[in-house]
Amino acid sequence: MTHLELSHIRKAFGPAVVVEDFNLAVTQGEFISFLGPSGCGKTTTLRMIAGFELPTAGTITIDSTDLTNTPPNKRNVGMVFQSYALFPNMTVAHNVGYGLKITSKSKTEMMQRVHEMLALIQMEEFAQRYPFQLSGGQQQRVALARALAIRPKLLLLDEPLSALDAKIRLELRHEIRRIQRQLGLTTIYVTHDQEEALSLSDRIVVMSKGKIEQVGTPTEIYNAPATEFVARFVGHINLLPVTVLNPANGVVSLGRQTLRAGRFGQLNGRPVQLAVRPEEINLGAKPDANTLNGEVESVTYLGSIVRIGLRIEHHPLSLDVFNEHTLKLPRISETLAIHFPVDACWLMEKSD
Amino acid sequence: MGRFSSIRVLLCFAVPPRCKGTNVAMSTSPPPRYRNNAWREHPLWNWVGLVPFFLFIFLFLIIPSLNLFTGAFVTNKGLFTLENLSVFRNPLVLKAYMTSLQVSLLTAVIGGLFGFFVAAAVALGHPPRWMRSLIMTFSGLAANFGGVPLAFAFIATLGRTGFVTALLKEVCFAGPDGTQICPFNPYDHGFSLYSLTGLVLAYTYFQFPLMVLTITPALEGMRKEWREAAANLGASTWQYWRDIALPVLTPSILGASILLFGNAFGAYATAQALTGGSIPLVTIFVGQQIRGDVLGNPHEGYAMAIGMVVVMAITIVAYSMLQRQASRWMKV
Amino acid sequence: MKAQPINWWAIFWIVLAALYFFLPMYGTLDFSLRMERNTISLKAYEIVFADPRFWQGFRYSTLMALITIIVSIILFVPTVYWMYLKVPQARPIMEIITILPFVIPTIVYVFGLIRTFSRPPFQLTLHALTTDMLIVAGYVVISMPFMFRAIDVGMRALDVRTLTEAAQSLGSNWFQVLVYVIVPNLRVAILSGALISFATVMGELILASFLVRPALAPYMALLGLTKAYEPAALAIISYALTWVSLGLLQLVSRGGTTRQLTGR
Repeated sequence: MTHLELSHIRKAFGPAVVVEDFNLAVTQGEFISFLGPSGCGKTTTLRMIAGFELPTAGTITIDSTDLTNTPPNKRNVGMVFQSYALFPNMTVAHNVGYGLKITSKSKTEMMQRVHEMLALIQMEEFAQRYPFQLSGGQQQRVALARALAIRPKLLLLDEPLSALDAKIRLELRHEIRRIQRQLGLTTIYVTHDQEEALSLSDRIVVMSKGKIEQVGTPTEIYNAPATEFVARFVGHINLLPVTVLNPANGVVSLGRQTLRAGRFGQLNGRPVQLAVRPEEINLGAKPDANTLNGEVESVTYLGSIVRIGLRIEHHPLSLDVFNEHTLKLPRISETLAIHFPVDACWLMEKSD
Repeated sequence: MGRFSSIRVLLCFAVPPRCKGTNVAMSTSPPPRYRNNAWREHPLWNWVGLVPFFLFIFLFLIIPSLNLFTGAFVTNKGLFTLENLSVFRNPLVLKAYMTSLQVSLLTAVIGGLFGFFVAAAVALGHPPRWMRSLIMTFSGLAANFGGVPLAFAFIATLGRTGFVTALLKEVCFAGPDGTQICPFNPYDHGFSLYSLTGLVLAYTYFQFPLMVLTITPALEGMRKEWREAAANLGASTWQYWRDIALPVLTPSILGASILLFGNAFGAYATAQALTGGSIPLVTIFVGQQIRGDVLGNPHEGYAMAIGMVVVMAITIVAYSMLQRQASRWMKV
Repeated sequence: MKAQPINWWAIFWIVLAALYFFLPMYGTLDFSLRMERNTISLKAYEIVFADPRFWQGFRYSTLMALITIIVSIILFVPTVYWMYLKVPQARPIMEIITILPFVIPTIVYVFGLIRTFSRPPFQLTLHALTTDMLIVAGYVVISMPFMFRAIDVGMRALDVRTLTEAAQSLGSNWFQVLVYVIVPNLRVAILSGALISFATVMGELILASFLVRPALAPYMALLGLTKAYEPAALAIISYALTWVSLGLLQLVSRGGTTRQLTGR
């Protein structure tokens, strides 16, 4: 059942087009992330859903009601800001209860709801504190409770964790997901952090320069990126320029070495590249896998894994190996054979 | 050369890690004489550089102030007394204090409100950029402008023959019985620039710009997200101002108004030049007491003057306390 | 980034403020040009400029202002420098002291000065020269909040300790560090402090009038009692003086220092 629908959304500030032809249907209870570099239009799209910006064209509907031109204070959509935006003059309890006070709920109902919310974020004992007495992580939890207290139809989170330190960020990330699942709340989460998007979302919308690059589950986004932008933005990827030898079975050549791609689309003569993730590549040669020989350029020790940089037919390639105690690290400028499964690589058109 | 090396040695005491390089450079100087420099390690030595400043302040600020203060609490023979405080029962002095408080309060409220609206217009109203810089620049100038020239400017503008008065006088209609009616001449309605009203008008010239200067940072510190968060929770613009913006701004507004109050309370030159001393402000009264002992007892004069310092001290303490509250909130 | 619609309430208040700023100025200018009936003339200015007492007042006030600035710089720059370098714990005391001239109204301060220095042991008011010394001291105190703060703000932007150590490691002594390293880096701060001190002293009425010295403001006040057009011309001249020095200040500091307390 479609809950939130954005169709043909376009937003321009004067001559600058920030969002172009944005289409998305979100079902009830889904957790969607907007992922992209800064300036890609993800926050602007979120702000249009919240009502802080009006789309230049297109419609926004929630439960089949057109909300495109509804003012923000009539939308009943909860929002959490990057900078927390707690009201500094109110206690935690008053912040959380503010939305209910506005809708003139009774005092007892308000108190009960505030209590419920503070229990949800496990901060009951902080009810009488002021925001300046809280840490960043605590403030953001209160902001989350404040947004949830009004029983919103939709929860919007605008890079809620990017102002926090790494440890708190991880903790709060799990907490957001737990609460979202518990309440079954449709959620839009804006982030530039691919790890956050991959670990939290049901589906991810990858955006670049105001346009959607790909919509899909984390697995789809990571394993089958639709465009070179997505492939490069999410995770590490090796892209080797290859020449197609046989368009029917995906056999290609890299210099004098021959390879086979597991997935390939219509090959219409444009330049293509072979894509393979570093973790799919293993050391040594293997008969029925793609095998390549290259010269070791760098060995970088990253703790649990070791990243090895190779040069193959003048092209760089990196691979990750687990740092097992049996591992014998290769030496710089040593010639090395590597292999990766045919299924783990695919052909991709070169973007202009 | 000797002096240079002793400074280097001093530096070595303070910052040991830096001494490696310095020792090389010092290879030709005599060995450091630690015993001679040991007294410089004493914490009091650190204060030596401030002695000229403290001496100056002591001589030209502390002694004169203390002198007034002690003068307020001694008899002619130099014995301690609280008798001089009876000056505050003198109806003339009381009247002067009341008038000063009244003028200061009035101009703090009027200048404060006007300045607040102007600052809000500049900070939140998205005016064209040139208007904004015009207001900010002129506020910086006008807040520092006062005294004799300000009085002359108002006389030339709103005095009996002033330019605005003349303009208002000329707005005339033919009345029902054929006579000319000129209803806007302010002097027909009991207005006088040389009265309390005129004084308040003139003071406003430097009061509201001071408000603009002191309140603008607070207004600019209002975060856009507060407004959006409030709207998101269902609040109207009016509810946002009532529940968040005004409460957040209150310490800053109060603090700035108190500053305005003190600014007007201590003003002398504008009032003296505008009214020639006909309005009995405390500052004017103190001035008359300096010129010739109008109270008949110099010690009562000191007591009256010290009373002003007490009022000013209260305002400054209140101001800094409110300022602290405001900055505590703004940090969030 | 966003094109905002024009807020007419904002424009209303801004226009009202601009009227309040400019009407008295325009009124004064207009008045000062109407000394001769039915014509615009510079007669009032001619009379003022022909009056030797005006030039005496102008010279006296300018001289006092310059001496005040020099004394302030010599007194405050080393003090603030020393405070940053050696006794940062002195800051609270210094802040209280430098705010005192706001707490003590000038008229009360003058009262104290006269009571202290018009009788032994420090009788300074007998001779013109010693009275001028007293006046300069008073001006230094009155303009201290501006001067001290300007230097303090400027010094805060410098890493005084590192600069000093760097200069010392290159062989400078204290005096050389102060003159060749610290002061050049404080040019803007010192200049803005100097300009606001200049404006303060040029317009100062109370000290000069109660210590009976021929400064500009007492001359203006006196003229105002007997004449009509000349004071308007003088007000314009004084406007111009103040606004040129404070306008320069705005240019120099880009509005930074004038946002502090101002007092009268």
